[in-house]
Amino acid sequence: MTIKNLTKRYETGVGVEGLNLEIRDGEFFILLGPSGCGKSTTLLCVAGLLRPNSGEIWLGDKLVTSVERDIYVTPQKRGVAMVFQDYALYPHMTAFGNIAFPLQVSGKSKPEVETRVRKAAESLGISQLLDRKPKQLSGGQRQRVALGRAIVREPEVFLMDEPLANLDAKLRVHMRAELKNLHQKLGTTTLYVTHDQVEAMSVGDRIAIQKDGILQQVGTPEDVYDRPRNMFVGGFIGSPAMNMLEGNLVKKDGNVEVDLGISAFELPNRTKEAVKEAKRSEVVLGVRPEHTTITKHQKNAIEANVSFVELIGRELHVHLTAREEPLVAIAEPTERLEVGQQVWLAFDKSKIHIFDKETEEALI
Amino acid sequence: MTFPKPERITLYILLAFFIFTSVLPLWTCIMTSIKTAQDVIYTMPLEPPSSPTLDPMMQAFDIMKRPLLNSFAFTIFATILSCTLGSTNGYILAKIRFRGSEVVFLLLAIGIFIPYQTVLIPLVMTISKLGLYNTIQGLILTHTAYGIPICTLLFRSYYEDIPESLMRAAKTDGAGTWTTFRRIVLPLSSPMFAVAGVFQFTSIWNDFLFGLVLARGTDALPASVALANLKGTTTAFWNVQMAGAWWYALPVVIIYLILGKYLIQGYMAGAIKG
Amino acid sequence: MNLEKDDMYTLLVFLPSLMLVGYFVYASIGWNVIVSLSDWKGLSPSYNIVGLAQYVSLTHDPVFWISLQNNLLLIALFVPGSLLLGLFLAILLSARVRAESTFRTIYLLPFALSFVITASLWAWMYNPSIGVINTLFAAIGLGFLRSGWSTNSSIAIYSIILALIWQFSGYTMLVFLAGIRSIPESQIMAARVDGASGLGLYRRIIIPQLKFPAMAAFVVLMVFALKAFDFIFILTDGGPGYSTYVLPLMMYRETFSMTHFAYGAAVATLLFAVVMVVVVPYLYLSSRRTKA
Repeated sequence: MTIKNLTKRYETGVGVEGLNLEIRDGEFFILLGPSGCGKSTTLLCVAGLLRPNSGEIWLGDKLVTSVERDIYVTPQKRGVAMVFQDYALYPHMTAFGNIAFPLQVSGKSKPEVETRVRKAAESLGISQLLDRKPKQLSGGQRQRVALGRAIVREPEVFLMDEPLANLDAKLRVHMRAELKNLHQKLGTTTLYVTHDQVEAMSVGDRIAIQKDGILQQVGTPEDVYDRPRNMFVGGFIGSPAMNMLEGNLVKKDGNVEVDLGISAFELPNRTKEAVKEAKRSEVVLGVRPEHTTITKHQKNAIEANVSFVELIGRELHVHLTAREEPLVAIAEPTERLEVGQQVWLAFDKSKIHIFDKETEEALI
Repeated sequence: MTFPKPERITLYILLAFFIFTSVLPLWTCIMTSIKTAQDVIYTMPLEPPSSPTLDPMMQAFDIMKRPLLNSFAFTIFATILSCTLGSTNGYILAKIRFRGSEVVFLLLAIGIFIPYQTVLIPLVMTISKLGLYNTIQGLILTHTAYGIPICTLLFRSYYEDIPESLMRAAKTDGAGTWTTFRRIVLPLSSPMFAVAGVFQFTSIWNDFLFGLVLARGTDALPASVALANLKGTTTAFWNVQMAGAWWYALPVVIIYLILGKYLIQGYMAGAIKG
Repeated sequence: MNLEKDDMYTLLVFLPSLMLVGYFVYASIGWNVIVSLSDWKGLSPSYNIVGLAQYVSLTHDPVFWISLQNNLLLIALFVPGSLLLGLFLAILLSARVRAESTFRTIYLLPFALSFVITASLWAWMYNPSIGVINTLFAAIGLGFLRSGWSTNSSIAIYSIILALIWQFSGYTMLVFLAGIRSIPESQIMAARVDGASGLGLYRRIIIPQLKFPAMAAFVVLMVFALKAFDFIFILTDGGPGYSTYVLPLMMYRETFSMTHFAYGAAVATLLFAVVMVVVVPYLYLSSRRTKA
């Protein structure tokens, strides 16, 4: 799938602006971002349910949307299957009827419809539910019927719009695994929209992060986690969120340091080249809570006070305040810490990110 | 809302009073329609007859037989036609976004409110030119045409409540506009057909003006006009008149008692949706 | 949204309805206006345009002024009367009443009936000699309240208004009841905790929120006050004398009894204009509101 320069503007604001994406055959590709970032808009344009203001969309080698060349293929003819957030099941039909519908519309023979529907139902474990109507099914069951309706057509592309958002937490985790399984079995190219970064990281082959209609970064889960391209991506991926501290780049004794006011951080050698290019000296230092350690006073550490502590089963989330700003650190559950206690927070040097304060782009 | 004890008594007294006022006309109607002419003059209208008789009822029925049949004929046909057109129109206005659909809707909405006197003269001329004066078909055409706006409004507001995702799902599943209508939207429309159907039936059945102006002769005389004629004549005394009113009211009363909730929804649609 | 070929066929389906409504409503209105500008009198149509002559004649016609006055009386008395009675009934029923749906069904029944029926009923009730109202008053010792009702020219129009209020109060009750019921229970509870109760609760919390349903019912009633024909035709036919004439009735008589087609058309056009003045702002406002 190729998306070129896709732009869709709404009366209330921009949906998507100048989006360019290459999605590989068989990939499980995620569109991630906060609400209003343009991910659903993009999906609907790919489906053909929305017509963009400009840009082109290719499905395989077929050009399905092109504003410039005035080409537009209707959703019915695109060979895409879609799963909606509210499942969009036809309330007056049984589960069987729902799954059979796309086949019936394309004129398949009754016996063929019968076999294909049963096959799809079996692969999803809902064979015994086929006689029921949507209102007689639970959330998870309805979701599977919606999936059934999508896979029964054996389409070229799956489009999924936050399909797990309406399920309770436990079910969501379970369905995530099921979806991944399904994808491995069928190998169909999938475009998946979500606002949940945990979900994106766990099921996606590659992730495209969007904000306010603009693409921020594309990459594998490791890419976006280890090498966020800007402050937004850094702060969006990972939970608890990355700690951000403002400071200044200072040259000292041939090294470059980040002066955080209360202490200075020496930057690792590998970064010196990148930092030399820096246009400004005002920067933001980012470091993930999982890359910090609570220790005693040492170099390259920052003084902080414990404000409160959360025990999350296998880890301790320590909330601290330094320079009046909140920080989060992760520690072993066995650590003994008291509110108000003064500690030193050390950062893993190899895992620091420096962002230009103004452009918010990563320098290292 | 809870009221303290003494006020609850007043509450029920008031409610009972209004029951009395609501029912009074209907009660006197029924009583009068089973009285002989003597009884009508000499007994109180509220009292039951000393010697009840079904005579007035039979007389009235005899007079109203044909008009009642006429009314049934054009009412049923016009109801079916206007509801069918209303549902397709409502679907188009609600689900197919096109420029000017709001304007079209507004124009139709105005059609609901116009006083029919405003179009009476052209209407009479049109119907007679079409050779449909004094015919059931003429009445069917008229009632259908003037019923389209309200039916469209009813269906449109109903269809707007169908989630867009359902339409999108049908589209990606390969269904075109009319396949979607036939297989998804229509099956979901039965409640609204009930509402529109009941509302249209009572409106058309209750109509008087069009009948008066377009169908005076016996061929297509509606029951409403026949009843009015009954009042005008000196030969039909009060008991026959009341019996006639009773026959004419019967279908609507039955519908009201059995399918009343649909009728109420129809009345509300105008109020809430505006 | 751009149109697809599929949608083009769709509009074809729309066309017959649009044509029917376009012709029977809008073209007819236009035609009527043209007739009102002509001098058509008698059975054969004549389309000599005489400008506003018919309208000018109207202003000199005492029947016109009586009709207009009666319509205004209807607006002034029937509309508020129905609204108030309906509101009152709705408030009564909103107090958890046993057998509420039975009460509701009975109160609303008159509204479902045809005007021909209700006019016949009231004609019988209003009969001065043996009608139920006068005989009832006599029987309970209120004989002095007896009157000619709809046969008495000075109070006939009020008798009509009373009967119409009777018929419409079920409808306004319905509208207000729905409005009251749509106020979230949590608001009522919050108000009661804040100290409001009984009348105060109604006055300050509930009634102010009934603005929208009231407006909708108001428009319906207003339009009816202007176009009421069936009921008055049957009950009094404008009489005694001309005391209960209203504009729609005048239009009918002029056109169909006296064949003054152009003159009748002028009345009809005026009627249309007045109704539009009431309806169009309301439709415009409410479509704005649903868009917002």
